[in-house]
Amino acid sequence: MIVLKDVTKSYGEVDAVDHVSIEVADGEIFGIVGYSGAGKSTLIKLIDRIEEADSGEIIIGKDDICKLEGKDLLEKRRKISMIFQNFDLLWSKDVLDNIAFPLMLKRVEKKKRRELAKELAKEVGLEDKIHAYPSELSGGQKQRVAIARALIVKPEILLCDEATSALDPKTTEDILDLLRKINKEYGLTILMISHQMEAIQKVCDRLAIMADGRVIEEGTVYEIFADPKEELTKRLIRTVDTGLDVKKTALELKERYPEGHLLRLTFDEVTSQRPILFELSNKTHIPMNIVSANIKNTAVGTLGVMYVHIEKRHDIALVLSELNADGVKVEVI
Amino acid sequence: MILEALYETLYLTFIPLIISCFLGLLIGTIIFITGSDIIVKSDKKYLKVISKVADALVNILRSIPYLILIIWLLPLTSFLTGKVIGTEAAIPALVFSATPFFARMVIIAFGEVDKGVIFASKAMGATIKDIIIHVLIPESLPALISSITVTAINLISYSAMAGAIGAGGLGYEAYQYGLVRRDTGLMFISTAMIVIIVFAIQILGDHLAHKVDRR
Ligand SMILES: Nc1ncnc2c1ncn2[C@@H]1O[C@H](COP(=O)(O)OP(=O)(O)O)[C@@H](O)[C@H]1O
Ligand SMILES: [Mg+2]
Repeated sequence: MIVLKDVTKSYGEVDAVDHVSIEVADGEIFGIVGYSGAGKSTLIKLIDRIEEADSGEIIIGKDDICKLEGKDLLEKRRKISMIFQNFDLLWSKDVLDNIAFPLMLKRVEKKKRRELAKELAKEVGLEDKIHAYPSELSGGQKQRVAIARALIVKPEILLCDEATSALDPKTTEDILDLLRKINKEYGLTILMISHQMEAIQKVCDRLAIMADGRVIEEGTVYEIFADPKEELTKRLIRTVDTGLDVKKTALELKERYPEGHLLRLTFDEVTSQRPILFELSNKTHIPMNIVSANIKNTAVGTLGVMYVHIEKRHDIALVLSELNADGVKVEVI
Repeated sequence: MILEALYETLYLTFIPLIISCFLGLLIGTIIFITGSDIIVKSDKKYLKVISKVADALVNILRSIPYLILIIWLLPLTSFLTGKVIGTEAAIPALVFSATPFFARMVIIAFGEVDKGVIFASKAMGATIKDIIIHVLIPESLPALISSITVTAINLISYSAMAGAIGAGGLGYEAYQYGLVRRDTGLMFISTAMIVIIVFAIQILGDHLAHKVDRR
């Protein structure tokens, strides 16, 4: 459990983090999205207490990390691992020694730490590369090494700062899958920050949007995508190719179907599992024409938007109430 | 005679080299660490001052020509070695000129280590000592080896100048036979030996630097 209460940090004139409050549950993957300079990296540094917050509380587990000192602080920081955009491996060490590096810092004996490192190399799919040097690895493989290195201390929390931002889309996908796997397997709480909405929406359970040091919007991926409130959020969502670009699709369809009723239905992970439209059609005997549909898989499940056209002569009041009762969000366009 | 000069040259190169590399590494590391925003917290302003002052001293010392340094150091030399002339007497001045040079090279080499890696190590709980021993030195090893090579070659040419205070060595030999006694043969041999030593050090240094470079 990570709880931030009214956390503030400024560098001179710049309010890098400005009264931020968020809660991340145990075992959750929480994302923070925002453009460069929004204060995301600073926030992560505050959580690991690499930087000191000016005010506010950062509660990790039971303790406020801002108040811990000496041994207690070290102990707490040990439960937090980090990975970064540029992987930050030591080029002078091979894969095994890079993975084992945190244990070397803890003076774990060489044989034992290399043993553990080998297991983790396997875990991240690098068992055939354990003696390679970072210069011989691809970006995705380097990030795998960094992930293994983060895991070797058995952390409870993994902080990812732009972990996939230097990777191509396919490799990004693989790394995100790996993060989700370790999240499930170890019950690891993951806080992911990125300027790429695309990556965040794929793995996160919940997310927050950050701008100018503040959290401006927060919710599940579904809530954010189905019903973005802030202009910035809408802009970030537009960068994701979900086909959920609401306005454009609606306008185009309205042009194509000037007559009759045009409905936009938004399904969530539950409603998309059931043959709701089929049942509805049977019940009301109103023919419905699906004119556009798009389904997107996110970490929390399926998010779907569907446009349905109904002839002018039918009364749609019943359709609307039935859909509402089923939990589908309906808008008449 | 020429073998004795060879021995003196090697002596005047390697003894100051070992001392200078040790001291230079120490001084360079202190200047780098105290001046680094990543390694020490940015609120410790006095450390920045220490770093700046030490850096300035190194630069001043580095810009004093070697021959002038010898003269300035005469009192210290006689205090340390009991002599003002001869092979041992040349050593303090050689150390004083090579140490700031090497310290400077160490600062440059450490400065080229990836900031992200230093930051990540700190995030993993590395102490300052860990960062020096396990990050800065191994990650900049090729540059450090090249720096040692250049310092060694500098010391050879300085040690030739140290002939001026009777330090002996091949440079002094070349000067004696060539200029004073006009023995071209011996002058040629002395010069050739200096060139060979320089080349050998250069080749060895390059080879080692290349071998440890995994980038
Ligand atoms: N060490 C620092 N000194 C001064 N300003 C900083 C420092 N770190 C970050 N900032 C400023 O704080 C703001 C937020 O930066 P950062 O947290 O890196 O944003 P993000 O990670 O979202 O791109 C920026 O305006 C940046 O210039
Ligand atoms: Mg950042």
